Amino acid sequence: MSGGPPRPRGGDTTTDDRSSRTGRLGDWSRTRAENVTRIARWEVTKNAGGVDRRTVIIAVLAVIGLGAMAPVAVSQGVSLDQGIYRVGVVPEDPYYDPVFLDPTFRVQNPSSAAVEAGKQEIRIVGPQVREYADTTKGRAAVDELRSSTMRYNDGIMGLEDNQSAAFPVVVNLSYVQRDATRVVAPGEQAIAVDSGEDEEAGGGDGAGGGGDGSSDDGSGDENGDGTAGDGSDAGGDGDSDVTQPEGGSNVGSSTIGARLTGGGTSGAPSDITPPFPFRSLVLAFVFVLPLNFVIQAYGSTILSERINRRGELLLVSPVSRGDIIVGKTLPYFAAAIGVATAITLVLRGSAISVLAIVPLAMLFLAATFLGAMFARSFKELTFVTVTITVSLTSYAFVPAIFTDVTPIALISPLTLVVRDLQGQAIGLGQFAFSTLPPTLTALTLFGLGAGLYREEDMFTQRPIPYKVLDALAGPITRRRSVALVTAVLLPFVLVAELVVVAFMYPLTQASIPFGVIVFAAFVGIALVEELAKSLHVYAGYAHSRFDDTLRTALVVGLFSGIGFFLAEKLTLIARLADLQEVEIGQAALGEQALLQTGVPLPILVVALLLAPLALHVVTASISALGARRGRRSYAVALVIAVAVHVAYNLTVVTALAQ
Amino acid sequence: MTESDGDSTGRSLLSDPRLIIAKRDLSSLSREKTIVLALLIQLFVAAFSSFLVVGLTSLYNPGSVSAGEVVVGVAGEHDAPLVRAANEQDGLRAITYPTPETAREAYQDGRVHAVMLAGDSGNRIDVEVIAPQESIETTLIIDQVRTLLEAVERDERIARSDHLDRSTVPVPEKVDASPYFGFTYTVLVPLLLFLPPFISGSVAVDALTEEIERGTLELLRVAPLSLVDIVDGKALAMILIAPLQALLWVTLLGWNGIDIANLGQLLTVVTALTTLVVTLGLSLGVLTAKRREAQLLYSVLVIFGFGILTFLPEHPATTVAKLAVDSPTGTTTAHVVGYAVAAVALFVLARRLVARTDPEGL
Amino acid sequence: MITARDLRKEYGGFVAVEGSTFTVEEGEVFGIIGPNGAGKTTTLKMLAGLVEPTDGDVSVAGYDAGETEMRQRLGFLPEESPLYEEMTPLSYLHFFADLYDVPDGVADRRIHDTLERLDLDHRERPLGDMSKGMKRKVAIARSLINDPDVLIYDEPGSGLDPLTTNYIIDFTRELGEQGKTIVFSAHNLYHVESICDRVAIMNEGKIVAKGDLDELQAEHGRTEYHVYTTVDVPGSSRENGNYRRVVESMDAVDETRSAAQEAGGQVVDIRTEESSLEEVFLEVAESESAVERGSGARP
Repeated sequence: MSGGPPRPRGGDTTTDDRSSRTGRLGDWSRTRAENVTRIARWEVTKNAGGVDRRTVIIAVLAVIGLGAMAPVAVSQGVSLDQGIYRVGVVPEDPYYDPVFLDPTFRVQNPSSAAVEAGKQEIRIVGPQVREYADTTKGRAAVDELRSSTMRYNDGIMGLEDNQSAAFPVVVNLSYVQRDATRVVAPGEQAIAVDSGEDEEAGGGDGAGGGGDGSSDDGSGDENGDGTAGDGSDAGGDGDSDVTQPEGGSNVGSSTIGARLTGGGTSGAPSDITPPFPFRSLVLAFVFVLPLNFVIQAYGSTILSERINRRGELLLVSPVSRGDIIVGKTLPYFAAAIGVATAITLVLRGSAISVLAIVPLAMLFLAATFLGAMFARSFKELTFVTVTITVSLTSYAFVPAIFTDVTPIALISPLTLVVRDLQGQAIGLGQFAFSTLPPTLTALTLFGLGAGLYREEDMFTQRPIPYKVLDALAGPITRRRSVALVTAVLLPFVLVAELVVVAFMYPLTQASIPFGVIVFAAFVGIALVEELAKSLHVYAGYAHSRFDDTLRTALVVGLFSGIGFFLAEKLTLIARLADLQEVEIGQAALGEQALLQTGVPLPILVVALLLAPLALHVVTASISALGARRGRRSYAVALVIAVAVHVAYNLTVVTALAQ
Repeated sequence: MTESDGDSTGRSLLSDPRLIIAKRDLSSLSREKTIVLALLIQLFVAAFSSFLVVGLTSLYNPGSVSAGEVVVGVAGEHDAPLVRAANEQDGLRAITYPTPETAREAYQDGRVHAVMLAGDSGNRIDVEVIAPQESIETTLIIDQVRTLLEAVERDERIARSDHLDRSTVPVPEKVDASPYFGFTYTVLVPLLLFLPPFISGSVAVDALTEEIERGTLELLRVAPLSLVDIVDGKALAMILIAPLQALLWVTLLGWNGIDIANLGQLLTVVTALTTLVVTLGLSLGVLTAKRREAQLLYSVLVIFGFGILTFLPEHPATTVAKLAVDSPTGTTTAHVVGYAVAAVALFVLARRLVARTDPEGL
Repeated sequence: MITARDLRKEYGGFVAVEGSTFTVEEGEVFGIIGPNGAGKTTTLKMLAGLVEPTDGDVSVAGYDAGETEMRQRLGFLPEESPLYEEMTPLSYLHFFADLYDVPDGVADRRIHDTLERLDLDHRERPLGDMSKGMKRKVAIARSLINDPDVLIYDEPGSGLDPLTTNYIIDFTRELGEQGKTIVFSAHNLYHVESICDRVAIMNEGKIVAKGDLDELQAEHGRTEYHVYTTVDVPGSSRENGNYRRVVESMDAVDETRSAAQEAGGQVVDIRTEESSLEEVFLEVAESESAVERGSGARP
């Protein structure tokens, strides 16, 4: 963007000979490379000396200590919900053993008064639950007792000599591909069944990496050490840790450890676990984790350039700021990719995993770079970094949970990693769909940050919102450049819209009416698009880049609308990933859906091109008119523009539905 | 000279320099809107983990979310117990087919979600389950199938109890319980209560090292207050905001119908833990005098310390869970007291360290 | 008011200051001059109690350096002006007023008066966005917030444009005239000469000469003052858009100033020849007797 063309270091390119053009290009790139390397090397050596040996030793010792602690802690069985339910039971009762063995419960003397007083959740008399507190806690306690009893029973039965009577049912589970993809059952919402490639049945989950379908019969105790460690990594599911079996045989253990290995496909009924690519998911998380540490250091180094004007000297040196930024970023990028490569090697992934991490690493670094350009102090940087960590990790991680569920998952490059670790093939289109938006977003962020990487912006104390406007207004030099900025912002729009869609997806699983979800998605998407079309226009007005005439506002709106329309056509890339299979995706990407209808061609052209063009121009003009008059009227105009946009989309969808 | 200063003996309590330092740090937090950001981040983390757990629970325990009915084709010589159990199960409907072949056919045609072929293997019922390739639907189907088979297993065990030496414990009746109850109290509440201390400690590191690195500490030192006062003031500010945030989360949870018990003890735990980590952060700031090193050591050591605490009889998260869910024991109370004592002890030690530190090195 | 006896400061093996002994009377303005690295800043920091001497003692207003009571009566201005960049001048000054336990009403009046006198606007703008001169003025206002008796100023006018430098030097002189005891350092001899009662010359960690200005000047010859004015005054020549007159005494400087003001212009800068300062240094460094006499002149 406004990074400006990097200047050659020396001013010695005076030979204007045509034949030497390639030579000059060579010189130019060599100077670039030299400058970048020099700054990168300086960055590495400076920061290697920046943290002294004592710090490194202590940190390493602490990490080693943690590693040493982990197995011990796990073997002791850390259960967070230790003793949260109190059960009144006496040793003579049959329930005593299951209650006693499950650390979730605390054994008390049965007392009706205690239950009344809320000091006991369950009172057991003889072989039955006589009384339980009628609270959420009481009911949860009974539910927990139910599952511990089942586990206990399985354990007891494992001790039996007559195993065929103890485990009278043997299950063999196989996954079989079929042609029909929908089961039409009464009162049921049809769910599309994923049409995978391989005909092979059985152990489809074994491909999840380890491939050891370990729990092959009732006596399997696969959740010994390693897998349980993974379980605590996962950390999400409180209930499952409870079920750490108390020694003996643990036929029906349902710890995360068991789930991680992909679940059994044969054995007693309780051995069967619903398939879930959790293992790959946890492993994928390992890829994202180091990025968060890298950006900590990276943000520090960028901000320290800005503290006390330290970076000024670098700015006046005969090195372009593009070189400075690339040079300072390169070591951290290399570190991120290096770690990703190492993890890939350990996990036996392919090059695709590393390639998929590249855009993610860029995105993390770019966001941190921009954040460090915005932050006014280290304190503020800490918060900016945490925000980036949290939001980008969830951007990468949440969609990847649904890897095997819906193609929307591909909006996160991490999904590619999960698929790669599962040994699935990845198409070129899918790869592009997954990696292009974050890459473009990262480049845009770097561009915006680079626009601020100059004397007058680096060393000011402006609050972050103003800095954002500064960054946006930077590239706007005349009315025409509005179109360009709008177009450049499109990757954000794409990513943000896909995230909106992805967040709507779980809602479709819950019992929320489909119409409501679609409407919510429309509002979210319209808001994203209208912001992208108008925020920089507002920034331009705030920086007095435009004169205050009605005509200018309309022209600016026109440019913004056209810029958006042209760039939006890029979203056709979504088709590469078969996104239209997903109903919400269809609705969300609105106009594209028109292609699939049998409308006559001329009308189609009008509808496909002119209508959206008109929409974007109209809404962009509305918000531009508002932006002309200051912040409050901009907000009002934005709301109107969003409303118009939503109304339009609803019209299109209802028209299509007929 | 003619004005009232000059004698510093008659300082009022409110003009204690430590309070003034604390006030400035707090107002700087609010001016930079960082505190708002901090709250948003915590809210986001909580929402994110809830989202994750609801997602995961719905995948593992799909019955808790989805209303769809699973249709299973049943065939084979032992189909009767399966059909019996199916009749008692919600969300699952069994259709009996005369032969395994017809059942498979129905599966291929998409008339049933899954097929269960109950054959005989020795003295056992050998059930072959055929389900579709992995998808969210499969997860739901397998879950229902497993519940069904577990019921069959229970029935069969009772039928064969003559051949068993031990008897099983009757499984309690199913009740309408929230599948997220355990998660809420054992993960979400501790998470929300532990995030504020962690953030406070991290900000404390910044607040001190920033003064050192920018050189503003020198001006505080020529003012009539000691390094200990400065560190005290910063500690005060950062310790103060953590229980306030915790209180906010507890209130928000309360609005969402999640009642938190033993608020006083919980806030004590939060304050004590905050004191511990803030003291650690400030000590590291004084010892290293550099933000980068102090922050690195801070995060590593806090995680390390959190790991060490698993060796306690009760992990802090468990303590918090037991207090919040109102099942505290003597151990729990002992831990709360222990944290408070440890916090005071460490704070006193750290003050001594700061007092002994040569401020010229900062 | 200030007594420094045999001050010595070592950093590791490096001796920054050695054998510094001097006294500053109440109401006196005492200048320490010398080239960069001479030990001026270390000396001032020892006086302020920021740096503990390896050897020797300092007493300020009857207290040991660094004691709380002493700090309550001290105004310190470091060479750089490290400020809380996100604060505004008003909130910044009020923060320090609170630290020095200045009652609110008094603080309000004092801040208002000082900022008026320093001619500082933009009181609600973040300090980080201010020019260096404005930051310096805020830093000076901070050093006065407790109405101190003793001011220790490290290079109050360095690194600023000539107009601001002169403004600040004039302001410092006014403070001296109001009866404050001031110790300050500079490497521009004119700044010292225009406001100091006595000076000490430091070189390589040692005080090489000290005494009355007139005495030193008589001893080491005259200094050339280059007075730059906006208008033509007698004896001046045109240079870079301004006029320069070279004179040899402080009286002549004052005369030039009034001449310029009468002609409707003003003095924009007064410089001494770099070499003249060096000459004094060299001269005093060569003759040990100068040290003897200097220290003998005043107890």
